Amino acid sequence: MRRRSLFAAAATTFGTTAFAAGCGSPPKPTTASSKGGAERGRITYGVWDVYQMPAMEKAAREFERTRPGVSVDVQLTPNATYWTKLRTACSGGSAPDVFWMNGPNFGLYADNGQLLPLETEGPEAILDPADFPPDLAKLYRWKGTQYGAPKDFDTVALWFNKELFDRAGVDHPDDSWTWQDLITSAQRLTDRRRGVYGVGAPVRAQENYYNSIPQAGGWVLSKDRTESGYADPQTLDGLQLWIDMIHRYRASPTLQQLTDTDATQMFQAGKLAMTYECSYNAAVFWADPALRGKVDVAPLPRGKRRASVIHGLANVVYARTPHPKLARDFVRFLSSRRGALLQAKGTAIPARNGTQQPWVDSMPKFDLKVHLDAVDYAVPYPISTNTAAWSHKELQLLSRAWSGDESLADVSRSLTKAMNQLLAQEGKA
Amino acid sequence: MSVDVEATAAAKPASPPPSEGAARSASSQRALRKRERRFLHRDKWWGYALIAPAGLGLAVFYLWPVLQTLYFSFTEWGPFGGTSWIGLENYRTMLHDPEVWQSLGNSLIYTVLVLLGIPVSMVLAVLLNLKGMRGTGFYRTLYFLPVVTMPAAVAVVWRWLYNGDVGILNQALDAIGVDGTYWVSDPGVVRFAVAAVGVWMTVGYNMILLLAGLQGIPQDYYEAASLDGAGRVRQFFSVTLPLLSPTLFFTTVLSVIQSLQVFDLIYMILGANTSVGVTNPAYSEGQTIVMLFFQKSFYDNQRAYGAAIVCVLFVLIMALTALQFRLQKRWVHYD
Amino acid sequence: MTETSVAAPRRTRPEGGRPPAAARRAARRNREGRLWPAHVLLSLGAVVTVFPLLWQVLTSFKSFGESTRVPPTFLPEHWDWSNYATVFSSIPFTDQLLNTVLMTLLRTVAQLLLCSMAAYAFARIAFPGRGALFLGFLAVLMVPSQLFLLPQYQIMQDLGWLNSLQALVVPGMFSAFGTFLLRQFFLGLPTELEEAARLDGANPFTVFWRIALPLARPGLLALGILTFLWSWNDLMWPLVVNTDPSQMPLSAGLATLQGAHLTEYPVLMAGSVLATLPVIVVFVAMQRHFIQGIAFSGMKG
Repeated sequence: MRRRSLFAAAATTFGTTAFAAGCGSPPKPTTASSKGGAERGRITYGVWDVYQMPAMEKAAREFERTRPGVSVDVQLTPNATYWTKLRTACSGGSAPDVFWMNGPNFGLYADNGQLLPLETEGPEAILDPADFPPDLAKLYRWKGTQYGAPKDFDTVALWFNKELFDRAGVDHPDDSWTWQDLITSAQRLTDRRRGVYGVGAPVRAQENYYNSIPQAGGWVLSKDRTESGYADPQTLDGLQLWIDMIHRYRASPTLQQLTDTDATQMFQAGKLAMTYECSYNAAVFWADPALRGKVDVAPLPRGKRRASVIHGLANVVYARTPHPKLARDFVRFLSSRRGALLQAKGTAIPARNGTQQPWVDSMPKFDLKVHLDAVDYAVPYPISTNTAAWSHKELQLLSRAWSGDESLADVSRSLTKAMNQLLAQEGKA
Repeated sequence: MSVDVEATAAAKPASPPPSEGAARSASSQRALRKRERRFLHRDKWWGYALIAPAGLGLAVFYLWPVLQTLYFSFTEWGPFGGTSWIGLENYRTMLHDPEVWQSLGNSLIYTVLVLLGIPVSMVLAVLLNLKGMRGTGFYRTLYFLPVVTMPAAVAVVWRWLYNGDVGILNQALDAIGVDGTYWVSDPGVVRFAVAAVGVWMTVGYNMILLLAGLQGIPQDYYEAASLDGAGRVRQFFSVTLPLLSPTLFFTTVLSVIQSLQVFDLIYMILGANTSVGVTNPAYSEGQTIVMLFFQKSFYDNQRAYGAAIVCVLFVLIMALTALQFRLQKRWVHYD
Repeated sequence: MTETSVAAPRRTRPEGGRPPAAARRAARRNREGRLWPAHVLLSLGAVVTVFPLLWQVLTSFKSFGESTRVPPTFLPEHWDWSNYATVFSSIPFTDQLLNTVLMTLLRTVAQLLLCSMAAYAFARIAFPGRGALFLGFLAVLMVPSQLFLLPQYQIMQDLGWLNSLQALVVPGMFSAFGTFLLRQFFLGLPTELEEAARLDGANPFTVFWRIALPLARPGLLALGILTFLWSWNDLMWPLVVNTDPSQMPLSAGLATLQGAHLTEYPVLMAGSVLATLPVIVVFVAMQRHFIQGIAFSGMKG
C-alpha cells in the first residue's frame, strides 16, 4: 500500500526554536544501559520520505549527542521499493536496526517474528501507550504485545474551497453537517459548464470509504481479522454514498475523470469544491500560495455516527538487530516528547500527545484543529496479517462498482468471497 | 567487398573461383565461407579462459537468479523466505487465473502494435537517406531524444497529453470537430494509447538502425536497377528491402523481446504509481504480463506465483525468437 | 591489406563512378527543390517527437501551483529557476552526478573488455561445450530484467556490499547482449590478418588483443554507447541496492523526489532535464560514430 505524502520543500525547514526553548529536560533513556557500560556502535534507521530526511537526521544527531560512541545512520529507500526491499533484507538478516512501519504492512512483520517487542511498563519501558492516541497505539499491538512506537498520525477531514462555496451561495461546511448536507451542497456546487464538481468520489480507502463505512454503521474487517464485512448492508451503505455521488446526484466527476486527474489535483485546480483528505496534504495546500487563502477544512459530515479513520507510522526494531538495546533506546528517544517535537513542523502530525500544537500553528490560515479533534471519534485502520493481498482486491473490485460496470451487489458478493478466501489463507499459514 | 572475396578465395583454395555476375558470386561466396568457416584456434583452454570472466559473472549474477526463480516457481514462498515444494500448483493456478491470460494478451497486442512502428521508422529512414537531404544530423538527434529521456518524466507528460478533460490531444481533436475520449482510462482505447507511446519511444532508435543499414547499401545497386528500367518504387522493393532485411530482422527480434518485457512506462501511464493505483477503470486492459509479475512478487507477497508467471513469459519469448529465426530464411537475405 | 579488412564488414560506397563536383552541385540544387515534401513530413514527425520533451522543459520552469493547474498552461507564467535550485538543495547533486559518471564509466569499460573477450572466443575458438555455453548467454538476454532485482540484491547483501560503489557497478559489468552483439561483429570480420598472426606463433589472446580488437573498434563503440545510455538511466537497481543518498546515482536520486501521493513535478522535471543533458551532449558529439557503430549490430542475423 502506498501512502504518506512527501513533499513540501517549505515544510523541510524545521525551526529550531520550538524544541530548543522550553521543552523541559531531555529524556534520560541512557541511564539504565549506561550503568552496565554504555553500548557503543552504529545503528541504521530506515525511512522512505526524502522530505522528512532532515528531521530524521536531526533526531539522529540529537541522539548521538546524548550517547557518546554511538552513531545513527539514516537510510532512505523511496516508497516504491521500500517494502519489497525490506522483506528481502529481513529474510537475509540485514534489515535496518530501526525502521518505519505502516499499518497495512505491520501484521506481516509482527506475525512473522520480524520485530522486537517494545516494553510498555517498568523501568525499561520504551513507551507508554497512554501518551498516544489510543487507536494508533493499538494499531501497532499484535496479539497483546506492543511492537511499534507511534511516530506520527493522520486523520481525515473535509477540505473545501471557500471561493466556490461563496460563488454558489452555499454555507461553508461545519461541525453540524450530515451526509444529507454533503449531498445537497455538492449538488448545488456542481457547475458543469465551468467544469466544477461539488465533491470528489475517487476509489480511495483511507480518505473515503474507510470513513463512510463506519459512519454508516458498517465494518471492513471483523475484530478477530477472519471475516470480511463487505456483505453487511450497512457497509454497502457507506460505499453507496460515493457511487451515488457520481451516478445519481452527478455531483462528482466520473471514475475515468478522476483517473486522468487525481481528486486532490482537481481540488488544487479549483475544479472540486470539496474533497476528503488526509492531514498530511495540508502542507501540500499550504505550499501553493495561490491556494493558501482559498481553502479551509471542516470535520467529516456524520452519517449514522461520527467517524474518521486514524492511521500513522511507527518506529519498529528489527528482530535480528545486533544492537537490540541501542535500537530500543533510539526508539525510546524518538517517542519522547523531545524526539516528537523535532518533527512537529513537518508534513506529519507527531503522534505523541501534547506535541501537535506546532503543526497546527505552522499553517495559521487553516483550521487544522479539526484534524486533531478527529482523534476523539477516530476509528482504527483495518489490518490483518497480509493486508496487502486483500486491499489490492478491494480497490480492484470496488472500482468496477464505481465505474458502473457492475452493480454494488455483485461486487459485494465477489469481494466478500475473495477477501474471506485470502483471510482464510492467512489463518492457515 | 570484391577484394574481400578474393582474399577469402585465396585463403581457401578449396572453394570454387569467382565467376559470372559479380553480385551473385559474392553472395554465394559469402554463403560458402559461412558454411565452411573453420575456427581459427583450437586451443580449448584459451577458449575457456577468455569466456571465464564474463561467463562467471553472468552465471553468478544472472543465470543463478534465473535458476532460482525457476525453482521458486514450483514452491510456496513465505513472505520472509522459507519455501516448500508444491510442484506444478502455481502453474495450475495460472491456467485458471483470468488476470494472467488477459495481461498476456495485452502484452502480445502491445507487441504487435509496437511492431507497426517499424514501417514508420522505415519511412523516416528512407526520407533521411534521400540524396541531397540536408539537416539529417539535426533530425536524427530530435528523433533520438525520446530514447534518452527518463521514463518517469515521459510518463507524466503523456498522462497530461492524454488527459480526457484538458489534454492537448483532445483539444486538438476538438478543434477539428472530433470527440476525444479518456485515453488512459477508457478500456476500449487504452491499449492503443499506450502502444502509441511505445512507438514514440522506439521509433527513433529503430530509425537510426535502419538508416545505418540504408547507408550501407552500395549506390551502384540502384544505378544498375535504374539502368534495367526500374522506377523508384520498384527499386525500393527489389534493392532496398532485400538488402535491408538483415537489419529489419535484427530490429524486429529486439522489438519483440523488448515489447514483451515492457513494464515501467505503461505502469506509470496508467497511473499505477500514483494514488490512482489499480482503480483505473482500464487497468485490466492495460496491464502487461511483467506488470502482473511485478504486482504479485513485489506488492502482493506472492513471489513464487510471480516466479511462475515470469517463467512462462521467458518460455514465450524464447519460442517467439526461435520462430523468427526459423522464418528468417523466408525473407532475410544475407548477401 | 588493412584496407581490405576495414572495408569488408562495411558496405562502403564505391569511390568510382561519381559525377564531377560542379555537376553534383547543380544536381543537388535541383534535388533540394524537390525535397521539401520530405522536410515537411520529417518536421511534422519531429514536432510530435519533441513535443513531450519540450513540455518537460517548460514544466521545469513553472511553479508547483501552476504545474497542477487544470487546464494546464503551455508557457510558464513567469520563468521560475527555483526548481533547479530545489534539485540541488534536495539531493546531493554533485555526489550523485559523480556516482553516475563512475558507475557508467566502470560498467562500460568492463563490459567492453569482458564481452569482447568472450565474444572473440565464441566466434573464433573451437572448444567443447561452446554451443551450450552460448545458449546460456542467449537465455539471459530473454529474461525480463525485473527478475534479477531481488536475487541480485540478496547476493549483494551476502557479500556485504550494500550502499557501495561496487554494488552499483559489478552486476552491470557483465552483459549477454554485449557478448552477442560483439560475437556477431567478430563473425563478420575477415580472418586473414588473424590467421597470419597465428601462423607467426602468436597465442589466441595476443591475436585477439593485437589484431581483432583494433579491427572491432566500430562494434566496441556501438556497445560502449549503448551501455553508456543504459547505465546512465538505470534506475531500479541503484534504488534497491543503495539507500544512502550520497551513494546513489542521479537516476535514483531523482526518483526519491517522486512522492507516493503527490510529487513536485516541476522539480522532478528540472532534475530530469539536468540528468538528460549530458547524454544529449554525448549523443550529439558521437552521432557520426554512433550511426556507424549501431549499424553493425544490425548487420548479421
